[in-house]
Amino acid sequence: MAHNYDAETLFPPPLVDNDLSFGEVTEKICGIVEAPPNHKWLLALIPALTGLTILGGAIGWLIWEGTGIWGLNNPMGWGWAIVNFVFWVGIGHAGTLISAILFLFRQRWRTAINRFAEAMTIFAVICALIFPGIHVGRVWAAYWMLPLPNQMSMWPNFRSPLLWDVFAVSTYFTVSLMFWYVGLVPDMATLRDRAKSKIGFWIYGVLSLGWRGANRHWQNYERAYLLLAALATPLVLSVHTIVSFDFAVSLIPGWHTTIFPPYFVAGAIFSGFAMVLTLAIPARKIFGLEDFITVRHIENMTKIILVTGMMVGYAYAMEFFIAWYSGSEYESFAFVNRALGPFGWAYFIMVSCNVITPQIFWFKKMRTNMTVVFILSIFVNIGMWFERFVITMSLHRDFIPSSWDYYSPTIFDILTFIGSFGLFFTLFILFMKFLPAVAMAEVKGVLPQADPHWSGYHEEGHDD
Amino acid sequence: MSAHHAPQINPMLPPEKLKKGLALAALLGLGGLAATGAGYWMGEHEQFYGSWLLAFSFYTTIALGALFYVILHHLTRASWSTGLRRVAENLAANLPLMALAFLPIAFGLHTLYHWSHADAVAVDPFLKIKSPYLNETAFYIRAGVFFVVWTLMAFFYRRQSVAQDKTGAESHNFKMRKLAPISMILFALTLTFAAFDWLMSLDPHWFSTIFGLYVFSGSVVSFFAVLSLVALWFTSGKSELGLTIGNLHDSGKLMFGFIVFWTYIAFSQYFLIWYANIPEETIWYQVRLSNGWQNVSMLLMVGHFILPFFVLMSRHAKRNRLVLGLGAAWMLFMHVVDLYFVIMPTLHHHLHMHWLDLSSLVGLGGVFALFFLLRFRKVAAVPHQDPQFQASLEYDNA
Amino acid sequence: MTESKSWGLLAEFPNPARLLKAAQATHAAGYRRFETFSPFPIHGMDEAMELPGSKVPWITLAAGLMGMATGLALQWWSGSVAYPLVIGGKPLFAWEFALPITFELSILFASFGTVLGMFALNKLPRPNHPLDYVPRFKKVTDDAFFLAIPASDEQFDLEASKAFLESIGGEHITVVEEQNG
Repeated sequence: MAHNYDAETLFPPPLVDNDLSFGEVTEKICGIVEAPPNHKWLLALIPALTGLTILGGAIGWLIWEGTGIWGLNNPMGWGWAIVNFVFWVGIGHAGTLISAILFLFRQRWRTAINRFAEAMTIFAVICALIFPGIHVGRVWAAYWMLPLPNQMSMWPNFRSPLLWDVFAVSTYFTVSLMFWYVGLVPDMATLRDRAKSKIGFWIYGVLSLGWRGANRHWQNYERAYLLLAALATPLVLSVHTIVSFDFAVSLIPGWHTTIFPPYFVAGAIFSGFAMVLTLAIPARKIFGLEDFITVRHIENMTKIILVTGMMVGYAYAMEFFIAWYSGSEYESFAFVNRALGPFGWAYFIMVSCNVITPQIFWFKKMRTNMTVVFILSIFVNIGMWFERFVITMSLHRDFIPSSWDYYSPTIFDILTFIGSFGLFFTLFILFMKFLPAVAMAEVKGVLPQADPHWSGYHEEGHDD
Repeated sequence: MSAHHAPQINPMLPPEKLKKGLALAALLGLGGLAATGAGYWMGEHEQFYGSWLLAFSFYTTIALGALFYVILHHLTRASWSTGLRRVAENLAANLPLMALAFLPIAFGLHTLYHWSHADAVAVDPFLKIKSPYLNETAFYIRAGVFFVVWTLMAFFYRRQSVAQDKTGAESHNFKMRKLAPISMILFALTLTFAAFDWLMSLDPHWFSTIFGLYVFSGSVVSFFAVLSLVALWFTSGKSELGLTIGNLHDSGKLMFGFIVFWTYIAFSQYFLIWYANIPEETIWYQVRLSNGWQNVSMLLMVGHFILPFFVLMSRHAKRNRLVLGLGAAWMLFMHVVDLYFVIMPTLHHHLHMHWLDLSSLVGLGGVFALFFLLRFRKVAAVPHQDPQFQASLEYDNA
Repeated sequence: MTESKSWGLLAEFPNPARLLKAAQATHAAGYRRFETFSPFPIHGMDEAMELPGSKVPWITLAAGLMGMATGLALQWWSGSVAYPLVIGGKPLFAWEFALPITFELSILFASFGTVLGMFALNKLPRPNHPLDYVPRFKKVTDDAFFLAIPASDEQFDLEASKAFLESIGGEHITVVEEQNG
């Protein structure tokens, strides 16, 4: 029996629909991995691989020819590369956020989506890391960004926010990967114990490190997981904070403003949840995960989108108000120009997609309509890309009017960006097939019969 | 969840306990206010207005933090925060009292706020640009709007909650949940502009987009400090309210979380201004890092973050009544220091403490506590008929 | 040597509630080195087995402090000793600009400490274990619940312990053989 989501109740409905048993959870989730690939899956892989090929071509040509193939000019020294970088890093925030922050806040509904969202984080951060990697021009010298002893006795400039980025994003990637892996260990042990083929047994066997579910192990495991969540929470906030420093420590009007750190973080959560929805809605259909990723999960996420969308709107409003209140003519000009200047069209898209359309989520009917949610989540993705575009384009009117210019991307800018989606979806589609897409051990732990004091056990005999 | 044998709950505060609290509050209030009044008549006008603004901001931010807790509780449909909700409701209900406490600031406008002098505006191009916002009429109108909005919200949530004590009907929860989103929006906007008006415009040239969040974060920390102290007092001795160590732990945990949040916001503001080093922004910190004020800044960094962070990090500390109580009292003191750091450098070039600061804090605090406690005479101290109440008592995050 | 030594005894229980009771009973009977196995952590099991607290947090703390020291030392030394160069009018070293990287390295080290420390405390990876040779034990990562008493437990006695496991409702009680190697 499906739960009636329209009824208003004080206490939340069950986390997993249809009263599944432990075995059924294993069967359902492992079934996806163990079944031979279906047509829908293969069909989805084709456009993803096409995108990946485009990415390879675009990057190859960039390395061969140099960054001149992009639309950068003077004064726009930063173009789509930073826009795409911030866009992907932002998307990469929801995963760890869902996992870590919702875990700390005891929001147990996260168990259905955390695996999935963490995977998304890792793939999005891989996409993000490409852009600073390739934009340096001489890609073969990219390792100069790291503090490695060298024959020239030179060290990186630790006063530069771009170097903080290197540390922040690579730390974030590493910690997210560990967090994800630790969560996967018990589930990969399940796959190992069910493996029919020798190869599967070996691969999952090595990856699961010999996990056998001993309680002494669970004790350390749970403690470690809690600690990782506690470490990942400030980490995830610090990453987009440091990304915002790239802009905010400068003197450029429209970049240098004190609200940037929390504003960027709110925007990252906003875009990250939107991407989780964009992926979750089709995925639950294709892989039959409706009992795990329920309408309630989707609805909760739309509410988070509504809230974070408003926070972003608050930051837009503060920027505008203070630009005027400061009395600084550079500040006021930058913001009036942002809304009414040559890139006013981009500003309009940004505000429409980030502040106006999410207001539809005030209505429960809309929050529970999967088509509406799916379309709106894509709008948010578009709006958040344009937010970074609008911010970066502040450069087109710098302090010397003689150098004012307009920015247009070239075909290679566009192909690289499209190609990054190819990489993202390729990784994601492979993940959905080869790893358990829902954290089985955790879902089992939140089933009612997992509680030793569950009322169903009382009938069995004496109970104190 | 199995229904344990629910302990017998008496939701009223014991009259003897309440009487003691009321007497102490009245004594402090009268004494403090008398001393403060004496200070004013002795001619310390400038100091009086500065000290009063400090005390006013301190108690207003606590009440606003309480309002935030109530709205957030309904917005997130939480159940674990039910047990201590009445304390927050009664604290927030002090907001109209703060409107009364605002009157001296309105009288002292010309002393406190440079932009309120027409001759100063006439020769200052920046103040001229800002004058559509920073002028006396607009300032009074905005203050009026803030207090009306806050009072309406505080009364609405308290009235619904108290009515539920009699009926126990779920419909009250649904009504409060329905208005929570719009309340949160109103709360965010009013608090931000109140912070701009009352605190940021003390230095009318300076501006910072994060300033609203800065005041908000301090306000929530101080509220959770008060909540922890009140909860400790409620559960001291023989308590029949049903509150558990789990409820105290939650309060301490949130206080800890918001200490970190405050640090994040405070660091973001300081760091971006320090790094960019633009004169019109840096001046605010320049003043606060010289002439003795650097000691206050240092105290803030150590006392508002480093010390409480390491002391309150472990869960044993938050579940220890003594440590939690000391931590909460310390954070209240640090909130005073935080506001002192914001307000006083505009009054005194050199670090300078005055007994009026103390007497205003004690006097207004006594009155604040008195009105807060009076609300417990006829009304239960816990929302015992809320259907989520029992769950919030059992929700121990051990 | 053909005589195989027994590793211990394994009993199965139908659900988390029964396993929890069995663990309480086993602890009460004086066994100290017994272990329970379940597909997910069972609430209250640590108390039932009266396990001491996990040591992982100490490793996390130590590693985090090490990361902090590394971050500060790296930035101070490279910027003011090894390669002093004034850039952007900033001092050679200041805590303000050193904070982001110091923070990141503290988190990075602490996370590594947590994960590696957890696996080390659990003595994992361990590819081979006598229990792997009990066919029913494969279900432990699916929906089965087990309690094992190893022969190394002081209280262990093959016959008496077997009878004890039967008395507390253990099913499919198996003598687990020690594997040579």
